[in-house]
Amino acid sequence: MNYPFPVSRREFLAAGLALPALAAACTRPYDPRSFTLPERSAVGLFPASSYATDFADIIFRGLRELRVNMAGRRVFLKPNLIEYEPGTAINTHPLVVAGAAIACKRAGAADVVVGEGPGHRRDIEYLLSATGLHDHLREHRIRFVDLNHDDVEIVRLRSWFTGMREIALPVELLRSDFVISMPKLKTHHWAGMTCSMKNLFGTVPGAVYGWPKTLLHVKGIPESILDLTGTVKPQLAIVDAVTAMEGDGPIMGRPRTLGFIAMGRDVVAVDATCARVIGLDPRKISYLKSASRFMGVLDARRIDQRGESPTRYATHFDIIPALARLRAN
Amino acid sequence: MSLVTGASKAPTAVSPFNDSVGYVRAQLRSALLDARNPDGGWGYSRAHRSRLEPTSWTLLALSQAEGGIPDVSPLVRWQPRDHWLLDVLGVSPNITFNAIAALTLAQAEAGEPLSRALIQRLSRARGETYVQAPELRQNNGLAAWSWIQGTISWVEPTAWCLLVLKKHRHTSDERIKDRIADGEAFLVDRACAAGGWNYGNPNVYGTDLIPHVPTTAIALLAFQDRQTHPVVRAAVARLQQDAESERSPMALALSAMALRRHGVSTERLESMLTDACLEWHQQADGIENLHASALALCALSEIDRPLTALTL
Repeated sequence: MNYPFPVSRREFLAAGLALPALAAACTRPYDPRSFTLPERSAVGLFPASSYATDFADIIFRGLRELRVNMAGRRVFLKPNLIEYEPGTAINTHPLVVAGAAIACKRAGAADVVVGEGPGHRRDIEYLLSATGLHDHLREHRIRFVDLNHDDVEIVRLRSWFTGMREIALPVELLRSDFVISMPKLKTHHWAGMTCSMKNLFGTVPGAVYGWPKTLLHVKGIPESILDLTGTVKPQLAIVDAVTAMEGDGPIMGRPRTLGFIAMGRDVVAVDATCARVIGLDPRKISYLKSASRFMGVLDARRIDQRGESPTRYATHFDIIPALARLRAN
Repeated sequence: MSLVTGASKAPTAVSPFNDSVGYVRAQLRSALLDARNPDGGWGYSRAHRSRLEPTSWTLLALSQAEGGIPDVSPLVRWQPRDHWLLDVLGVSPNITFNAIAALTLAQAEAGEPLSRALIQRLSRARGETYVQAPELRQNNGLAAWSWIQGTISWVEPTAWCLLVLKKHRHTSDERIKDRIADGEAFLVDRACAAGGWNYGNPNVYGTDLIPHVPTTAIALLAFQDRQTHPVVRAAVARLQQDAESERSPMALALSAMALRRHGVSTERLESMLTDACLEWHQQADGIENLHASALALCALSEIDRPLTALTL
C-alpha cells in the first residue's frame, strides 16, 4: 500500500485551511452552470446486519424509495477496490457490488458495467480473484473494466479547486450515463473520511497519472475530491457500511460493524450523513464543507432520512490523533 | 495474423509440462499477434489505443518467443515531446513506460539512437523531494524516479529506470552513475522490514507495511547485480516465500523473471504460470490483458534463453 507523503499531515492540515481561502479568493472555483444546489436531499439507511443478506433486494427497494429512474441507462458501478489483505475491510464487499448490479438490471438499466482503477495494486487479475469479485461478476455476467488501463479522453473539469482545468478520464466511464459511487465507509488518515466522494479517486487512470493517483495527492486531496466529484457527477451513492473501517484507514484500520447500506442521489448529503453516523462533524471535513456551497446538502435539517434513522447507528469511530479536530462535539 | 507454428521455439525436452508450455506460448503469441493495432502497436486490451507499455512488452515477448530481435518500428514512430515518448497526448509523459520503451528499443539497432536519447532524458528526471514527515519512517530527501514529472518517487518507476541505466553504466557519463547510486539508495531506504517492497512507503504511523509480490520482483530485477546486499537477500527470501501466493499471470511472470536472475529455481512458478494462462484463456469472459499476456510470454520464453533486455 502507498501513502501519499507529498501531502504530509501538516501539509494536509494547511491545505484544509487554505481551501476556504482559495474559495474566497476565486469567488466561484467552479462552473455555476454545471451545478444546481438542491434545497433538500434524501438519504436512506437500510439495515444489513451481515453480508449474508440479499443485497439485490435491499438496493432495489432503496432505488424505489429514493425514486431513482435508471430505465434504459448505461449504468457504471464504481466500487472501492484498492488492495487485498485477508480479514480487513478495505474494499466494497463483492456481494454488495453484485447485489447492486442485479438491482440495477431489475430497475431497467440497459447495461451495467463495474469499473475501478485500484489505487495501489496494478495487477487487476490478482485483485479481482483475491477479493472474490471476479467470481461474482462472472456468475451474473457483469463486465468489469480496469480504469487504470482503459483508453482515456481529456475532459474539461467543471470545478478547478486543484488549479487543473482538464483531466484524462477512462472512456468506459465517460460512455456511461449513470454513474454510481459504491464506497466502503472508512476513516481516512489524510482526508478524514472516505466515502462516495473520495471513492472517485479510483476513476483516475493510474497509467496516466501514476499510482497511487500521485498527481491528485500533489494537487491536494480535498481539492481533487471536489474537482472529481464535480466532473464525474455520480447520480447515486450506494455505501457499504455493513462492515466499515475505523482507526488508521483507509488500509490499516480495523473493521467495525455498522450494519447498513446508505443510499442517496446527493453524494454530499450521503457522505455528510455517514460522517455524522461515525461521530465526525461534516462541517469540519473541508471538502464536504466546500461541496455544500455548490454541489449538495450538508445541513442535517435539509436531509430527508429514509429507511432507518441515523441515530440508530450513531457511534464514535476511533480516529488517529491527527484528525481529532474532525470529531463532532 | 495467424499463428506460424514453426516460429515458436520447440521445448528442449518432451514432457507434459513442456507440451503445456509450448501450447501456452503459442496461444499467447497468437493472441498478441491478433490484437495488434493497425499502427503496429498494442493497447492494454484488444481494440484499444496503442500504448507505450503494452507495445514495448509485446515487442519484447514476440521477439523472445521467435528467437529474433524486436521490430521496434512502432516505438521509433511513436509521438515524441521534449525527448519523451508520449503515452497519451495532452498529458505528462509516463517516466516508467519510457524506461521500458528504452529497454525495448536498445534490443534493435534501429532503436538504439532513440534508446540512447531516452536514457539521457531518464537520467535527468528526478522525483520530487519533501520535508521529513514524522508519520513516515523514510528519507523523503531521496530523489529517485516518479511515475510522472512533478511527483514523488515510487518503487516501480525507480526500479525500471534503475535497470535501464544499469544496462548503460559502462558509458563515461557520470550522471548515469550518480543516478544509479540515487536509485539504489532510494530502494534500500524503502525496503520493508519483512524484506521486499511495498509500492512506496515501508512504514506509516509506526506500522510496518507488507511487501507486495510484483513490486518486489521488479525491484529485484534492478538489483540482480547486487545479490550479496542484505536488503536484496532479504527480498529474494521474501519473494521465494510469497511468490506462489499471488497466482495472477502478471505476478507469476514477474516473480519468475526476477528469481531466475537471482539463481533461484523457478520451475514451479513456471508451471503455475502455465496453468494460470491455460485457465485464463479458457474463460470466455476472461479479462483480456495484453500487458499481462506479454509478460507471461516473456517469462515462459525465458525457459529457453534469458531475455537480454532484462539481464545485466
